[in-house]
This record gives sequence, C-alpha cells and structure tokens, in this order.
Amino acid sequence: MTELLSVLASGVLVGTVYAYMAYGLGLIYGVLRVVNLAHGAFLTLGVYVTWWLHSSFGVDPLVSLAATVPIGFVLGAGVERTLVFRLRNSPPVTTLLLLFGVWLIVRNALYLVFGGADRSLLTSYSLESVALGPITVSIPRLIVAGFSLAGFLALALLLKRTWSGLALRAAAQDSEAASLSGIPVNRVWSTAFGIGSALAMSAGTLMSLFYSVTPEFGARFLLKSFCVVVLGGLTNIGGILLAGIGLGIAEDLTAFYVHTGYRDVVSFLVLTAALVLRRADADS
Amino acid sequence: MALPLPGRPGLRSAALPLAAALLAGCGGGDDAIRLGVALPLSGRHANVGGFLRDGYRIAVDEANEAGGVVVDGQARPVRLIVYDDKSDASISPSLLERLISVDRVAALLSGYSTPLVQAQVIVPMRRGIPYVNAGGASQTIFREGNQWIFGALSPVESLARTTLEWLAWEQDRNRLAKPLRVALVWQNTDHGREYRAGVHEVVAADPDRFTVVLDESFEHLSSDHTSLIVKVKSVTADVFLSDAHEPDFLLQHRAYVEQGLGHVAVSYGARGPERSVREGLGAAVEHLVSAQWWTRALPYERSRRFVEKYESLRGGMLTEYYPAVAYEAARGLIAAIAAAGSLEPEPIRDALRALDLRDSLLPGGRLHFPAEYRYQIRNRCVIVQNHADGATRIIYPPEAAEAPSVLQPTE
Repeated sequence: MTELLSVLASGVLVGTVYAYMAYGLGLIYGVLRVVNLAHGAFLTLGVYVTWWLHSSFGVDPLVSLAATVPIGFVLGAGVERTLVFRLRNSPPVTTLLLLFGVWLIVRNALYLVFGGADRSLLTSYSLESVALGPITVSIPRLIVAGFSLAGFLALALLLKRTWSGLALRAAAQDSEAASLSGIPVNRVWSTAFGIGSALAMSAGTLMSLFYSVTPEFGARFLLKSFCVVVLGGLTNIGGILLAGIGLGIAEDLTAFYVHTGYRDVVSFLVLTAALVLRRADADS
Repeated sequence: MALPLPGRPGLRSAALPLAAALLAGCGGGDDAIRLGVALPLSGRHANVGGFLRDGYRIAVDEANEAGGVVVDGQARPVRLIVYDDKSDASISPSLLERLISVDRVAALLSGYSTPLVQAQVIVPMRRGIPYVNAGGASQTIFREGNQWIFGALSPVESLARTTLEWLAWEQDRNRLAKPLRVALVWQNTDHGREYRAGVHEVVAADPDRFTVVLDESFEHLSSDHTSLIVKVKSVTADVFLSDAHEPDFLLQHRAYVEQGLGHVAVSYGARGPERSVREGLGAAVEHLVSAQWWTRALPYERSRRFVEKYESLRGGMLTEYYPAVAYEAARGLIAAIAAAGSLEPEPIRDALRALDLRDSLLPGGRLHFPAEYRYQIRNRCVIVQNHADGATRIIYPPEAAEAPSVLQPTE
C-alpha cells in the first residue's frame, strides 16, 4: 500500500511539472492558433538563466523567477511582434517552421556560449524531502507542484476575471469580431505570446531544481508538453492541469507495476489514442 | 620512445626537435605524419570532445618533442588534424572520409560516445585505415571479422565485472555478507545492456556470492526516476548497482536520497568522481563507489607525469578519465607507426596488432589489443570511492588501494 501511495504521489508531482510546462503552449495555441515550436527554446532559456544566476551570483532559483518571468514576457512578445506577426496570413506551416528556426538559433547560441556539458544547481533544499504519513515526498517537487497550481489559478483568474482575459478570450474565439468590438487584437496577440513564453521560462526555472541543464533541455520536454496540451484540450488550462496529472500518474503506475522502460511509451500511446478518438468524434 | 636515426647523436638530438617544432608550428609540412580525428567539439558532447582532443595533443606533442617518428628511414613530425563533428553521427563519417581522401591521414583516432563511434567505424573498415578508439566502450563497435578498429577503452562489462570483483574481495575479508543481494538497474542502451551482461556473467559464475533481486532497465533521459527508486526500495537488497549516464544519474540519485534509501554499497557504473556531479549533488555523492577506466591516483610514473602535463596545460584539477585514455590511444598509435616504419595502412595495422606497451598509464600498466577480443583492450578497471573530504580514492585493486572502502550500514 505504501508503495502504491508513493507511486501515486510521485505521479501527481511529476504531472504538475508536465502541466506547468504546457500552460504556455496551450495559451498561445488558444489565442493565436499557432503551434509554438519555440516553446522548447523558452524552457531552455529559463533553465540557463536560472543556472547562470545561481552559479554566478548565488541567486536562489525561486528568486530568479523575478528575472525569468519578465524576460520571458519581453522575449515572447518580441518574437510575436517581429516574426510571428509578419506571417499572420501565411499558411500555418510557415509559422511552424519559423518558430522551429527560433528554437534552433537559441539552442545553438546556448551551445556556443555554454558548451554542451550537463550542468546542475544545488540549493540547501535540493535534496530535502518530507514524510507525509507513510510516504516520503521531495521538497523541490512539492514546491513546483505549488507553483503549478498557483499558475493555474493565476491564469484562470486572468482569463475569467480581468479585462485583459476577456480580450484574450475574445481574440481566441473570433479575432475579427474582437477587432470590430474595439479590442486591440494585435496587442492581445503579443500579450498572449508574452505570457505563454513567460510561463515556459518560469517552468524552466522551476525544473532546474531537479533536472540537469543542457541546450537539449527543451527537446527533452517539448514532446511531453504537446502530449499534455493535446490530451487536456488545446485551449483548456484546467484540462491541461488534469491531463498533466493524469499522464504523470499513468506513467508512474506503468513504470512501477509493468516496467520502468515503458514509462515514456505511455505518453505517446495516450497521445495517439487521444488524437484517434478526437478525430472519430469530429467525424461522427 | 627510442627513435633510431642516422647521423651524429648530438646533432640529431638538437635538430630533430627543432625541425618537428618548425613543422608543427607552420601546420606541418608534406612529410608530416598525419593523424586524423573527428571529435564532438560543439554540441551535446563538446565537453568530452575537448578532453579527448587535449589527450591526443599531449601525446602528439610528446612525440614531436622526442624528435618525431622515423618512417621510411626519415624522422618526421606528427600532425594531428582535428574536425568538429558537432556531436552529430550523420556528419562524423563524412569528416572521416575527408580526412582519408583530402588530408591523406595515415591513421585515425576516435571521436566520443558509443553511437558516434559506431557511426565512424564504418569508414575505416571500408577504406582499410587503422583506427584507434578511445571514446566508445561498447563491444558492438568491434564486429566479427574486424581488422582495422583497435580499442584502448575496456568494454563496459569490465566496469561491472571489476565492481563485483571488489565486492567479492570484501566478502573474503568478512566485510560483506554472502550471498550479497544486488538490486540492478540499467539504461536501455548498448552501454547499459553490456553493464548488465557483466553483472550477470559474474553472478552466474559464482551464485554463492551474489543474488540479483531486481533487474530492471530504464529509458535514457527519463523524465523521472522516483517510481524506479520506489521499486528498488520495495526489494531487500544489500547493494545498489546502476548504469546511467550523467543526466539520468543526477536525477536517479536525487530520488534515491529523497526516498531515504540505504545500501552497504551504491555504484552508478563509471559515474561519481566528476566535478559536475559534485556540483549537482554535493555531499550526497559521498561514499559512492565507481568503476573507472583510469584515475589520477593510479601509482604509475607515466600517469603522474600525464596529470602534471595536463593540469599545467589546462589548469584546474583533472577528475575525468577521458584525456588519459585518449592520450594512451594516440601514444599507442604513434608507437605502432614507429614500429611499422611506414605510413602504409597494413604495416601500421600489423604493428597495432603486435603492440604491447608495458608502461601504460591505464590500470594494469599495459596497452595491447588482443585478437581474441577483436582488438579491444581487456584491462581490469579500478574501483574508487568518494570520500567526505572531497577526495576520490582508489579502494580496489588492493595493490593500488589508497584507502579502505567505507561500507554504509543499512537501515
């Protein structure tokens, strides 16, 4: 029983990480209908900025959120204004390739500046854990789970309770009608891209608490982010949280009760099943 | 290296280093002996690629400082031509083709990582050019019928085999129980599979000593290891053995510590003494045991000289084995060229087959490429343990041990 509880707890905690790294992807797709392949670049930039601040100045990763969030917002909005916006009326594949190019540029720039070595950071709480009844839970993972839930609440409040959120939702539903209603759609798009990128960079910051840092960091997690977003519903932040947690639990249960080697297979099986079922629903 | 040269000894001892230095300085003349290598100097393996390059260069510089190498009766400087394969297995073979066809190299040295070396070896095998490997330990590199590939890195199995040899030695000294229950996890790659094979080979040979109570693979770059560690926790084991590359090792050992596990001995294959590992795990790496292809603490004169040379060249403290193995691979190749006295591939290959350097800095002090193992070296590894004072000390084999092992009490 203790083992089952440990595995479930681990699944929930891993799932909240998946959810947090996927929020930005879902938001950007929801508002701009753009599949942001540069998402991996922002995740990677987040871990590198955090690692650099920690190794150079001793800044705690949680404190460095104060830097990565605004940097992510400015960079994301900048990418939208200078690049994505210009391809607004192009076929979706053009934007897809453009953002893939952005990711490659960032990845190679990081290789040039930092090299390819695995780097990791160590804080006073990196290896701490806490006993919750019969199970032991990692403190860094609990912290990330807390941020993931807070991120979900903040996004939900932003979208449901603020004028900006209303504008974002309006632009997501029908950008032309939103524009006719006086909503500055161009600015809304930049804002959405900025928020999505800030979320990705902050996810990178939090993930640096337990993952090692390399320029390939984004590649390691981008596919998982896509799985979560597709499972949760491309525009549904609550669905993304639940999908992340569900996926985390499914992976950990499979790893424990079936075989550890099948852990990553689960996400892609679930993704394939979700796409097939969605397609079947759409056809019927 | 003794180089038989014509002419007066005094004159030749002064002239040869000068000629070698001049030729090396201007990029080598047409008569330079060219050795080629495609290394990952950028991309994912850039860090290790740099280590290998430095090791190769030290060996080449030593040869040039000693007056070069006599080929066809003439002393010639050695020139190392290095290309960056960007850690990309699709680029690496074409760079080797270029080294052979355009740069006219006499022989090749390897890049790093089993997948990249696996991609590279196709070229020297097809073109019939000697290739000395310092960067891939998998036995899959050395295929049936291999004639051109020579390995200076003992197989991954040696890591496992030496680790279990050490445990058996501790059993014989009544420091460990018999049989010892082993929890074994391994990454699902050639590297991990060979580590597992090494463990099972020893266990099958001596079932009274060891019992494997868990045998499980995991995917390389897994996003979480907690469930695997919970599985390890659920079995009663005395020893935890894992074969993992650095990113998985960091994540797995974090989960191990977080879950509060304890075994009398914990080993992650070759992982443990690296500086980057201490940066990421701090005191949690204390008492980790690792099997190494080389360590700076080996009590050999050549090893000490190499460490001094490397550290004066690069600064900092050398904690990785890569440059030492690379140095030895290049030194072996240069010695084989000197023995062949020719730049033709067949004589160099035959000299590599016959090579037997007894002053090697590798564990055991010997560099040779045994035909029965398809020309891959089969030296025993050395077992080291991280200590609380930050040092990594040899604990096995006994003739090289600097300190007794620290065995952890189990809960």
